[in-house]
Amino acid sequence: MNNVADKVDALVIGGGIAGLQAAIDLANQGFQVLIVEKEASIGGKMIGLSKVFPTLDCCSCICTPRMAEAEHHPKIKILTYAEVRHVDRQQEEFFVDILKKPRYVDEDKCTGCRLCEYACNTEVPHEFEGNLGVRRAIYVPFGNAFPQVALLDVENCLLCGACEKACPSDAIDFLQEPEEMRVRADAIIIATGYEMLPAGFKQEYGGGHLKNVLTALQTERLLAPHGPYGRVLRPSDGKEPDSIAFVQCAGSRDRSAGVAYCSRVCCMYAIKQAMLLSGSLPLTDLTIYYMDIRAFGKGFEQFYQNAKAMGIEFVKAKVARIREDENQNAVLRIERIEEDGAVEERTHDMAVLSLGLVPAWDPREADLAAPASDGFVCSIASHLAPSRTPEEGVFVAGAAAGPKDIPDSVVEAGAAAMEAAAYLRSLRSTPSANRSPRAHQQEQPALTAKEASP
Amino acid sequence: MIDRSPDSRNDDENTRAPRIGVYVCHCGGNISDVVDVDRVVQAASRLEHVVVARQAPAMCSQAGQDLVTQDLLSEKVDRVVVAACTPGLHEHTFRKAIARASHNPYLYEHVNIREQVSWCSKSDPDGATEKAVRLVAAGVAKARLATPLSTIPVNTRQHVTVVGGGIAGLRAASDLARAGLQVTLLEKSPFLGGRLNQWDRVYPGGERAGNLLRTLLQEVTNHPNIEVHTRTAIVEATGCVGDFHLVVQCEPRGVEETLSSSAADAAIEACLVRKPSEHDFGLSQRKAIYRLPGRSWPAVPAIDWENCERCGDCAKAAGVESIALDASPKRISIHSGAIVLATGHELYEPASGEFGYADHPEVITLAQLERLLDPAGPTGGSLSQNGRPIRNVCLIHCVGSRQIEGLHQPGPDGRLHEYCSRVCCTAALRAAVDLRRRFPETRVFELYQDIRTYGRDHEQFYDDATRERVVFVRYTADQPPIVSTSTQNDGSRLSVTVRDTLTFGEELEIPADLVVLVTGMVPRENNTLIEQLKLSRSADGFLQEVHPKLRPVELAVGGVFVAGTCQAPMNIAESCSSGSAAASKAAALLSRGHIDLDPFRARVDTDRCRGKGKCVEACQFQKAITLVETGNDGETSRHAEVNSALCAGCGMCVAVCPHQAIQVDGWHLAQFDAMVDALVADYC
Repeated sequence: MNNVADKVDALVIGGGIAGLQAAIDLANQGFQVLIVEKEASIGGKMIGLSKVFPTLDCCSCICTPRMAEAEHHPKIKILTYAEVRHVDRQQEEFFVDILKKPRYVDEDKCTGCRLCEYACNTEVPHEFEGNLGVRRAIYVPFGNAFPQVALLDVENCLLCGACEKACPSDAIDFLQEPEEMRVRADAIIIATGYEMLPAGFKQEYGGGHLKNVLTALQTERLLAPHGPYGRVLRPSDGKEPDSIAFVQCAGSRDRSAGVAYCSRVCCMYAIKQAMLLSGSLPLTDLTIYYMDIRAFGKGFEQFYQNAKAMGIEFVKAKVARIREDENQNAVLRIERIEEDGAVEERTHDMAVLSLGLVPAWDPREADLAAPASDGFVCSIASHLAPSRTPEEGVFVAGAAAGPKDIPDSVVEAGAAAMEAAAYLRSLRSTPSANRSPRAHQQEQPALTAKEASP
Repeated sequence: MIDRSPDSRNDDENTRAPRIGVYVCHCGGNISDVVDVDRVVQAASRLEHVVVARQAPAMCSQAGQDLVTQDLLSEKVDRVVVAACTPGLHEHTFRKAIARASHNPYLYEHVNIREQVSWCSKSDPDGATEKAVRLVAAGVAKARLATPLSTIPVNTRQHVTVVGGGIAGLRAASDLARAGLQVTLLEKSPFLGGRLNQWDRVYPGGERAGNLLRTLLQEVTNHPNIEVHTRTAIVEATGCVGDFHLVVQCEPRGVEETLSSSAADAAIEACLVRKPSEHDFGLSQRKAIYRLPGRSWPAVPAIDWENCERCGDCAKAAGVESIALDASPKRISIHSGAIVLATGHELYEPASGEFGYADHPEVITLAQLERLLDPAGPTGGSLSQNGRPIRNVCLIHCVGSRQIEGLHQPGPDGRLHEYCSRVCCTAALRAAVDLRRRFPETRVFELYQDIRTYGRDHEQFYDDATRERVVFVRYTADQPPIVSTSTQNDGSRLSVTVRDTLTFGEELEIPADLVVLVTGMVPRENNTLIEQLKLSRSADGFLQEVHPKLRPVELAVGGVFVAGTCQAPMNIAESCSSGSAAASKAAALLSRGHIDLDPFRARVDTDRCRGKGKCVEACQFQKAITLVETGNDGETSRHAEVNSALCAGCGMCVAVCPHQAIQVDGWHLAQFDAMVDALVADYC
């Protein structure tokens, strides 16, 4: 069974920052943990970011230590490129069916030397770079990926065999098959994070077809130390943009996009990106079109005020439409929400959509409890123990329970680990016959009808 | 433990020259795309005592680590220099690899040629390569003089002190007890529960705060591992991670726990003292013997010693000997492996005259409005002003929050509150919706800058408020609303003048029977704790975590954790998560029964030390260095002595010692000299 322990104390679904932190906190309390990550590397969304607000630390420098800690922890096992397919509960034990997708590269043999990558002649848009750069058909996912193991993209591979010849450790295996495995666990932490709405979610914003309208994650890559261009250029013609617009609430607080909630991080990442852009392109005009600036976290408001002092323009306006002019500039039709309430068109060389965050995974895919009406994992004790889900033994951490910034995700991951640890300890100390399984304790007695009506 | 003084090494080790292996990492192109690794390896191989110099695409990979362990196992090398990424990332990796090869993990030097070279010098590959060569040479120079060290084991007490009995402290205490640890919970006031005692319903679900509190109080007060002390003040805090020592002063309650509820009522009734009630933010009065209405824990009252006149009426009325007006404080001593601080926040108190506060009785804070809306509050949940119903309520957001230098004056604590207080927007909107639904005749105006309903299900309140026809008016920080006595004959006592940026910058005059200042959270002083435990505050005055993302619930002092609003404004759910996360870290820390501290500690050369004590003065850590007297043939001499468990290895003492009699293990002055020489040497 590919060196995965067949019985662990806790299974963590998702190897982003929340999943890693929850796993480390559980392992440090002595519990055996298995992390299942669907991508080829752990690190989640965080590892693709450039710098993080409000401290502007380099993201690699603060995400990779957590990746390394999990990787080297004697009580943590990590399964990448694997998906949880089905969870079956039998008494107090979860039987988890996992599908390990084929990399077509032997993980034990590959040393991450990348000679296969250099030998491959097929170029494919690189998803990690927001499709702005290219990768080969066989590739190590990204510079600080863990594991540093190549992955063959069978969809685009020409089966020329060049990589196989180049590999010094005979690691390439065109015949690798998907591997099904079953793991038993006593507790599960869902840390499956978020996805951004696709750029094409709204026809009014070009439906994803405008070259110089980027998503926020693409902009992160433009700003990252090893980004696709090594500098900030606009994709259509490689020109340095003289003016950049940020479109806030692009698919948040927007019922037409099906996302009524605030995505919580977009104000701050837009401000951060604007600040970083003003560092790399000091002469560029930066404008943020917003509804409300939600700089609510520790040090956030000060960060926002600094951005204003740096000359970044904040316009309270809703962007109604984006089109392209003949030079492929982004033309924004805006309605000001203050002063004269004017409707006007403003032209920018490039625009960034601060896209809303939606859940990355529906737990029903693995036969776990249905999510709440916002699509995120349901919490049944939303005040006292937000990580408790309706199903006993199943906990949630990070953005899987709603959009969240990194500090809040890390703190909630610690809380989820504590809840899971307490649950595991109670399993160990109470004979199962005396327990009433299946439902987590609610945080308070149910409201009487009178109390419930406000 | 290995004796670390150089002269105690065996002769064989003393006589054999160091054999250094240098390993340079490509970091999958991160380094090698800029730095000419071949040149670095060649330069390293020419350095004195370097016996091998190798390179690898990724030193941290198994293949890279194997290069190191094989050279160590074959005794080709006895000390290692790896030039790669930041030591924060993989120093530990290589120390562990060296230990696996049965060598001392501290005969190791990590040179950062990624963050400090290739990433920051992309445009100058030649310069970057030269810099890498020099840094590697300095690393080799330091490794040459390295001595074997061992970690310092410290036993950890299986006990945690939680300071603060509000929601975050209760959550942490319950979690720690569930993890099998002994817990002492210290609360400053006579009652547990903190702020939650003062709220009726909480957003977003509208649950009763009292019900939430009851659940958690039951967990805490029924748990055999938890000892609760109320009315406490920490007077002394010493020690270090694994073994803190706290001296706590406990004020007497004055009332025995056995006092019956009816006797307590009689005693309270009999008291003639009247003081503004903190619980109701001054909207009602309480006696000098008092308890919290409805849901106080403990249920028996306490005596407010500052205001008690010792008349004895309460004791007489209670009719039993359960009230003692002559009880004296006692001191308790606690030994703990870790401390969780959950000391909460204060609410911003507007200055006199700020938006008419204190000038007009109709100007109150949001916290006071919450008390008025509470059916169990001072007015029984009814809202009126001088017997007349309230028709217009005007809420002004960001009072004492988001302050800007030049526009706002610092408060009495000397601080400008530049931060957003996070919870107030949603709390104000919840109150507005509540007002509109319960008092449909009342018009509600929200004067705001930005509506920050960021959390899960918070945006709903903004929608609901709009639907309930709450009127939103947006002001800017440089033109705040002005509260004055109304000149209109419209029946309202006050009017609020504001320039509304949502409607062409129009100046509005809003009649108001009640003006509610939406005030935020401000940090508590906590001076004793901060001074004694050497804690740091962030610029906003709240406690400063080590790192907001990597270590968000840890303070810089090992073994001290932070939970809830003493760190930053947060709501109930966030406070509970933070309490649990702090408990998780403390439980992990104490789980093995001992911890291994890094061996980089100060060490005194007693032959050189003259006992001047400059190091003791410079030391930032209490009792880490002390002066001791030793007798030898009738003569006594003084010299400094280091407590390795308390020393942080910061080197402050090294800098001030006039005789170079104190050095930090692993960072000897000779090593610094050698590194500087190596950095400036000629390698061309």
